[in-house]
Amino acid sequence: MDTAVEVERAGINLKPSGRMPDGEVALAPIESGKTVGNIEVEDPIFRCRDVDVYYGAKHAIKKVGIDVAKSQVLAMIGPSGCGKSTFLRCLNRMNDTIEGARVEGSIMLDGKDIHDKKQDVVQLRARVGMVFQKPNPFPKSIYENVAYGPRIHGLAADRVELDEIVHSSLQRAGLWEEVKDRLQHPGTSLSGGQQQRLCIARTIAVNPEVILMDEPCSALDPIATARIEDLMEELRQSYAIVIVTHSMQQAARVSQRTAYFHLGDLIEVGETDRIFTNPRHKLTEDYITGRFG
Amino acid sequence: MALSLEGHTARAFDGDLSSLHVQAVTMGALVIEQVQLAVNAYSNWDRAAATLVLERERRVNLYDTEIEEAALQLIARRQPMAQDLRAVFAIDKVVSELERAADEAKKLALTVLAESEIHGFRPGAATAREVRQLGRLAMVMTRTALEAFDHLDATAASAVVEQDLEMDAEYAAALRRILTRAMEDARQVQAAIEAAFIMRSLERIGDHARNIARHVGFIGGEFDPTATGVMPSDMRVSVDKP
Repeated sequence: MDTAVEVERAGINLKPSGRMPDGEVALAPIESGKTVGNIEVEDPIFRCRDVDVYYGAKHAIKKVGIDVAKSQVLAMIGPSGCGKSTFLRCLNRMNDTIEGARVEGSIMLDGKDIHDKKQDVVQLRARVGMVFQKPNPFPKSIYENVAYGPRIHGLAADRVELDEIVHSSLQRAGLWEEVKDRLQHPGTSLSGGQQQRLCIARTIAVNPEVILMDEPCSALDPIATARIEDLMEELRQSYAIVIVTHSMQQAARVSQRTAYFHLGDLIEVGETDRIFTNPRHKLTEDYITGRFG
Repeated sequence: MALSLEGHTARAFDGDLSSLHVQAVTMGALVIEQVQLAVNAYSNWDRAAATLVLERERRVNLYDTEIEEAALQLIARRQPMAQDLRAVFAIDKVVSELERAADEAKKLALTVLAESEIHGFRPGAATAREVRQLGRLAMVMTRTALEAFDHLDATAASAVVEQDLEMDAEYAAALRRILTRAMEDARQVQAAIEAAFIMRSLERIGDHARNIARHVGFIGGEFDPTATGVMPSDMRVSVDKP
């Protein structure tokens, strides 16, 4: 999309250099659904348009439209309460479980509406896995944590196949070497970083297409964080990853595209390289430079 | 958007960034003085002034080291993003440009000291006039660039690019004039070569000012590839130009 079209979309007066005129944007009311930057990608895995989320009377997400590309990490950033986690939870219908939550608009996974009546939610959540802020292994053995999903989805014909899935999942999550001699130990006996990687292994064991991560490193030390970030780089070769993070440095490190949310609006989307060096919207600039509020 | 290095939630960040900026501007003021002094030293053939330039060159270098250190600290502690990141990056580059401009001034001073010792000759009135004129232009350019940098005003900075065109034209014309004089009187060849180097230095100071102006544009979000200090070929004035 060229700049002129973006400008029109944004409903604001951009100078040809792509900079905002003085003061104008800061004062301009945000018009929902008018995101700065290109929300589209070629051949997306997810195509979301005009997504609104209500928690009772509260309008938590306003007319958000964005594509999620295959083999890419999309980072969603923004201040607390901006709706980034809410939006993430829309992608595998986790909001269904919240009472009073209502999701409107279209969310297409590989061209099919995830809100379609025929859509099996359990199946959806296998295709779109999720890793949470706090590692939450089941109170079972390391082996069982990973084997559980493939077993309930009937992905393994016999024990040998199941062993193979557990092995390859732990290997891809970079945990195999550390746990191969104690697969029967409880998952909770691992360190925080290892537990988080166990949860990632559990997610990829069911062959998802997308992995959603909701602040996956906020409970981890810098070394465990670095290992997860490394892992994300490897995983994105096979899966689309959407990550919500409060760490801008992390978003800058791991993602290829970044989306900035503000009070339920998707303000700006763009290549990560650009967003962190030369954002177009004043609100994005203020947030990432620490001038917020 | 209005460029400002302030307004961070963490006030200390404002302080760190402003102090970096102010230091760079102060260094710039010192460099302008150096250029002025060096031009005077050459055109008046004043050894005392030339010595002073060399003494103060150490202060310029000290500024350079200190600002670089502070910029490094700021990046390590604050991890600046977007316009802050561009600002730190650009301030560091502006400081390098200033340091190099001061080096050119030093060359003028060294010429005065060396030549007055060995040959005991001084440039003729016409050459001194040419040098004063080019020096004036170099100082105007540096001052304009520095003011734009002080106010983070990309529009003001763009004026320097215009001034640089004037500088290039003046430089080429002055060069032709001294070469003509040298051809008329072979005894002047040695002095003409010296003067050509001096003029080249002043023209270089103008180039540094132009680069500073581009760095100001860079802070404003104008990603000009030539702002990295790589001189575009059409901006280069070669000595062998007809």
